[in-house]
Amino acid sequence: MLNRKIAPIRQIPDKIVVTKADEIILPNGIRLLSINVGTEDVCKLDLHFSAGSRYQSKPAESRAALSLLTEGTQNLTSHQIAEKFDFFGSFCEQNSDRDFGKISMFSLSKYLNESLDLLEQVVKTPTFPEKEVETYRIKGKQSLIVELEKVTTLSRQDFFKGLFGFYHPYGFFAEPQDYINIKRSDLVNFHQSHLTSNLCTIVLSGKVGDSEINNVINHFGKEKWGNELTTLENLPKIAASEQRKYFSHKEDALQSAIRIGRILVDRKHPDYSALVILNTLLGGYFGSRLMKNIREDKGYTYGISSTILTLREFCVFVIGTEVGAEYTSLAIKEIYFEISRLRNELVSNNELDLVRNYLLGELLRSFDGAFTIADTIINLFEFNNLDYTFFEKTIHTIKTITPEQIMNLANNYLREDDLIECVAGSKKNIN
Amino acid sequence: MIEVEKFCLENGLRVVVHNDNSTPIVSFNLLYDVGSRDEDPERTGFAHLFEHLMFGGSVNIPKFDEPLERTGGENNAFTNNDFTNYYITIPKENLETAFWLESDRMLNLAFSKKSLAVQKNVVVEEFNQRYLNKSYGDVWHLLRPLAYKVHPYKWPTIGVEPRHIKNATLTDVKDFFYKHYAPNNAILTITGPVTTVEILEYSKKWFGEIERRPVPKRQIPKEPRQTEPRILEIERDVPFDSIFKVYHMSNRKHADFHATDLISDILSNGKSSRLYNKLVQEQNIFSEINAYITGDIDEGLFVITGRLYEKTSFQLAESTINEELDQIKNKSLGDYELEKVKNQFESNYKFGEVNPLEKAMNLAFHELLGNAENINHEVEKYRKVTQEKVKEVASNLFSDENCSTLFYKAKK
Repeated sequence: MLNRKIAPIRQIPDKIVVTKADEIILPNGIRLLSINVGTEDVCKLDLHFSAGSRYQSKPAESRAALSLLTEGTQNLTSHQIAEKFDFFGSFCEQNSDRDFGKISMFSLSKYLNESLDLLEQVVKTPTFPEKEVETYRIKGKQSLIVELEKVTTLSRQDFFKGLFGFYHPYGFFAEPQDYINIKRSDLVNFHQSHLTSNLCTIVLSGKVGDSEINNVINHFGKEKWGNELTTLENLPKIAASEQRKYFSHKEDALQSAIRIGRILVDRKHPDYSALVILNTLLGGYFGSRLMKNIREDKGYTYGISSTILTLREFCVFVIGTEVGAEYTSLAIKEIYFEISRLRNELVSNNELDLVRNYLLGELLRSFDGAFTIADTIINLFEFNNLDYTFFEKTIHTIKTITPEQIMNLANNYLREDDLIECVAGSKKNIN
Repeated sequence: MIEVEKFCLENGLRVVVHNDNSTPIVSFNLLYDVGSRDEDPERTGFAHLFEHLMFGGSVNIPKFDEPLERTGGENNAFTNNDFTNYYITIPKENLETAFWLESDRMLNLAFSKKSLAVQKNVVVEEFNQRYLNKSYGDVWHLLRPLAYKVHPYKWPTIGVEPRHIKNATLTDVKDFFYKHYAPNNAILTITGPVTTVEILEYSKKWFGEIERRPVPKRQIPKEPRQTEPRILEIERDVPFDSIFKVYHMSNRKHADFHATDLISDILSNGKSSRLYNKLVQEQNIFSEINAYITGDIDEGLFVITGRLYEKTSFQLAESTINEELDQIKNKSLGDYELEKVKNQFESNYKFGEVNPLEKAMNLAFHELLGNAENINHEVEKYRKVTQEKVKEVASNLFSDENCSTLFYKAKK
């Protein structure tokens, strides 16, 4: 008879086999990383540019320039580009965050060549036609207005403004009217200065062989494009105020959004891997202390988590949740309670072992499937110029960290006075 | 081509295996053939609440998540109108832990009072977060009862109102479990670096001894044909006016399904699609417009949603949409456009199979529809759709008496 009370024997792999990318430097200097994994005849091409919002001269410029790349080139109208991509079943996604601008193209392998022809024009010769820019202005304004209705948006914005100061590139947010003020000429300039070959890294993932790689080289690896002389500006000094608590009122909100956190060291810092473990204990997985206490024990929220966000020059630690409006103060109290426990009590070996194993599983999951691997590797290389030894160091820390080290870390990094607190919700629920 | 091997245990559990050695992780997906369409109209939202309770401990294992996390595993679940799906990703070395945990909660739950009390609260907060405390969040609470008068698709999976969830009792929970959670009402699919031999062995060991349960035959009333246009106008504190039009369409297994899906692509897949190109890009009538199908197993809905610009009137919004629908009804597409949407489908479909977990979920869904191997024939079925078929389906679909319209007005 099977004894169901006893768990099957578990094994934790000693080593993690890291799927590495094949790496070549193309004739024009671009670094091309390729990851050949998968059963389907599809691939994804990512062009990463150091062209995030921190480098823009006007609000929303980076995002607008990226979005409008596909809206007209020297030889093709917006409609022609859309028709062609759609006909091949290919599609592009453009994103811009604080540090990077990125265009990703998804294509069936059989149409990769045709799709690359288009992508090349889109990236190298966009014209930003006035008609399409105008559509973008009104659309961008409208969708931001909808976004600003959400309590999560309000608290997130307060949080970054509070951490870095509103005029710092990491603390700045565009307003609806900024979209209306977007100028075509600024987009042209931004493209010329930042969406250039010397600020670009390319990742090709999926079922890719020599012919796919050669295809990419033919389209993006030969000539340089754009202004080669752009130098990336350094970040200004952080100009945050002394204020620790921020509140945004939203009439009749049923829930309050809460953000609590601070700026952290970047991923190169010797404490980084240990901070990941600390964060995981607190709020980094379903069984974390915040989830157990605030969701699974008290039912104040559908979800609560803490995260370490990676920026190029810092990390940001943030606890985020939406809680029932009537639980706002109670939830905040419990969040600080859980943080203080990390500072004052040693974590048990039982809990720490669980987190060690969970994190090793997470590391393996970051190599599950071609596109996941591509994201893992690009994040490693691009953000902080790390290399594969980062994984070994992380595994080493996961396996060897002690409860004492974790408590010390909490005392160094999670002092209540160093955390800022942002709440967005209805006034009548806040004491 | 996705290679599939299948077997069925004596207790009726169907198991589908796909070997993929390119990943260190196994995706383990267990689908139960029960969704919100199986609920009592007075206890809506129950299938989904029940999904939360499946994490509250089982008869031999007090906690579900913890032992899984201890082996490097991760899991979650979702419920929709048709089924409930639980999934785990776990390092290959510890695959047996997934069998141990999932089989025990199929065998029996712990039925804890505390878990029920807390999860009721959690689900009410989920209700708030996703449907009530969010602009346009209540759209489906308005549209479903407009479009459906009889069929249980008339309520959303989250439930009609928080009260239904608050009223749930432990007796309801037990009844639901014994009625719907059974090996003969479930499909297990596994993808990753595994062999069918080992999966068969683990399946027999852990699931084999769970007995069949009498699962009542599903008796869902068929939605009668709609005979006149239905219109609802409401006003909410949102920034912009929106319009929603839904049309009754075929069920998932019907021969018209694929053509219907392609029509939604013609209208709004990609920037060259008709609605987007004309009404967003060229004429600036909408800031966003979408057409899609709900994809439900029973007779579902063809949905068109549009967010209006400030200067656009509802009348203009509706008439421009109708003009586009008339075009599809009255004029043939041409080979080029049909080929285009078929290519788009093929591409989307294949990209959906890159992620091993998504592959496992898709296999489970196809097995639920009849046969997991059909995952490899879906593209062919879309390829076979003809221009005549598109026109015929569009003509049946897009009539005023088959349509429910919601004018969602921004309070000024």
